[in-house]
Amino acid sequence: MPSSQTPPVGSTAIDPTAVRPAIDDARIIRTTPAALRDCLRSLKAEGFAMLSDIGGVDYLERDPRFDVVYHLLKFAAATGSAERVRVLCGVPGENPTVPSVCDMWPSANWAEREVYDLFGVTFSGHPDLRRIQMPDDWTGHPLRKDYPLRGPALERTPRPSFALKSNVAAGTPASGKTAAALQRQIAAARGEQPAKDPAK
Amino acid sequence: MTVTNSGVPGALSMDVVERKDNRMVLSMGPQHPSTHGVLQVITEIEGEVVTHAEPEIGYLHTGIEKSAENLFWTQASTVIERMDYLSPLSNALCYIMAVEKLLGVEKQIPQRAQQVRVLLCELSRLASHCVWLGTGGIDLGAISTFFYAFDLREKILDLNELAGGARMHPNYLRIGGLRDDLPAGFLDRLDALIKMYPGRMREMRNLLQMNPILQDRMIDVGILSPDDAIAWAITGPALRASGIAYDVRKAFPYSGYENYDFEVPTRGEGDAYARFLVRLDEMDQSMRIIEQVRKNLVDGPVVADDTKFSPPPKETIAVSMEALIHHFKYVSESFRVPPGDVYAAVEGPRGELGYYVVSNGDNRPWRVRTRPASLYNLQVLKKIAVGEMIADMVVMIGSLDPVFGEVDR
Repeated sequence: MPSSQTPPVGSTAIDPTAVRPAIDDARIIRTTPAALRDCLRSLKAEGFAMLSDIGGVDYLERDPRFDVVYHLLKFAAATGSAERVRVLCGVPGENPTVPSVCDMWPSANWAEREVYDLFGVTFSGHPDLRRIQMPDDWTGHPLRKDYPLRGPALERTPRPSFALKSNVAAGTPASGKTAAALQRQIAAARGEQPAKDPAK
Repeated sequence: MTVTNSGVPGALSMDVVERKDNRMVLSMGPQHPSTHGVLQVITEIEGEVVTHAEPEIGYLHTGIEKSAENLFWTQASTVIERMDYLSPLSNALCYIMAVEKLLGVEKQIPQRAQQVRVLLCELSRLASHCVWLGTGGIDLGAISTFFYAFDLREKILDLNELAGGARMHPNYLRIGGLRDDLPAGFLDRLDALIKMYPGRMREMRNLLQMNPILQDRMIDVGILSPDDAIAWAITGPALRASGIAYDVRKAFPYSGYENYDFEVPTRGEGDAYARFLVRLDEMDQSMRIIEQVRKNLVDGPVVADDTKFSPPPKETIAVSMEALIHHFKYVSESFRVPPGDVYAAVEGPRGELGYYVVSNGDNRPWRVRTRPASLYNLQVLKKIAVGEMIADMVVMIGSLDPVFGEVDR
């Protein structure tokens, strides 16, 4: 369910990676879930022996919605120099599934579990796809952009006063109900006549 | 588990009596003193030999990556420093490098700022290795090393405090340079530290390196072959102890590391003792870099002279309208970073620490993904622990040196 609190800032549905050429020293390859394993296998044959990291990005309004990002590393053994490549795999928001690469690199195990846990992207063929950071009985995937910053349970309570006002999305309705309840509580504590609840 | 032969759930003790093998499941942690944080390892042991080990993590998950997405570019480095809390400056530097690459200003950073960044990151590597050395010694019963190592670490934290005002998380590095120049008296105390270091290191080496008990506990324990190390994405001292000389400072030099003369210590054995020796040698190399920075430290500004991404000098704010406006905007709404994605990496004390940062052109990061070295280094525990004694589990965890602020984030 879309949250009123996040994304907090202009969630323009742009694709940052498409509007700008590569600015770091990695080669960038784009692929799809169907072609992913072949792509990574050919890179491995090319000498990219280490799968250094797997991360996820949620672009929310873009199609495909998610990127699963594979960072690969190739060593030139003698000199200690190395080469990087980054594989961006676009994954649709509906039923996001990517083939697992655990059989090719054991390091993918926990990394894929983390992407599954925090983004809800399923890795088919993963030997042990469980949550890794969040508790096992958690619902929702916290790093998705439509997941509220403080979690669903606290979403409707007023934010503490020290929170940045600009952190709240423009047009967010003040949590009227809870704020009014607070006002009545304060009034009662002061012994004043409780303000009338406008809802009644 | 507690199901008896008849299929009726029974007492655990009955189950143990009826079973003929020596197999049992033992949970180490999450409150075990030698797991260096909140790590739980569910081990299956046959007698005293580990047949299966499954590390369980996530007890310290604080959602730092999510928090960073909701903070300004300038504010995010504050929470990012909390990830690897033993070397906060490496985290901050890596994130800041990523943002500077996105802004396209990495060439504008003044030389003095780059030198001080290197200086502080090497100091924090020393401080981090001091914790590893001290707690690693305690794991094996060598309690006195802890006091020697933490005394040295204390001197480094004093320098942190002098520079940034806080001992653990100084938040001293800024996008565009440093927050301030080094305060008066910093270099004198640094000189004192440089002078004190060789003797203190010799003492610690004498206590541990050739200690027969320590060697008995560490040699041939937790062997990691070079092929396994690459397949499990091990980086840092653990990778170099398996014979692969990969160091981000040499392979992808940043912040002027190419100007310093230092070696990358490697060893071929791949066991816990090799990892121990590589880290000790690394401390000496760090000190070598620190001495070179101290000798070659140039004078000059420490913040890039561009108010688009760095605050104007404090003394100009009272006299210049422009500066006041820039300062107000810098504090109240940060700055906008051109869209794009970038990966920056530094050599942290535990290995390659990387940040994959995505900007959509706004004043907050769209996504900050950490490549946590500890997570991958710890993951290999389930591989190297099999076939070892349960008592050596402590040695293996210590030799991988995980930090749970970084593993769980």
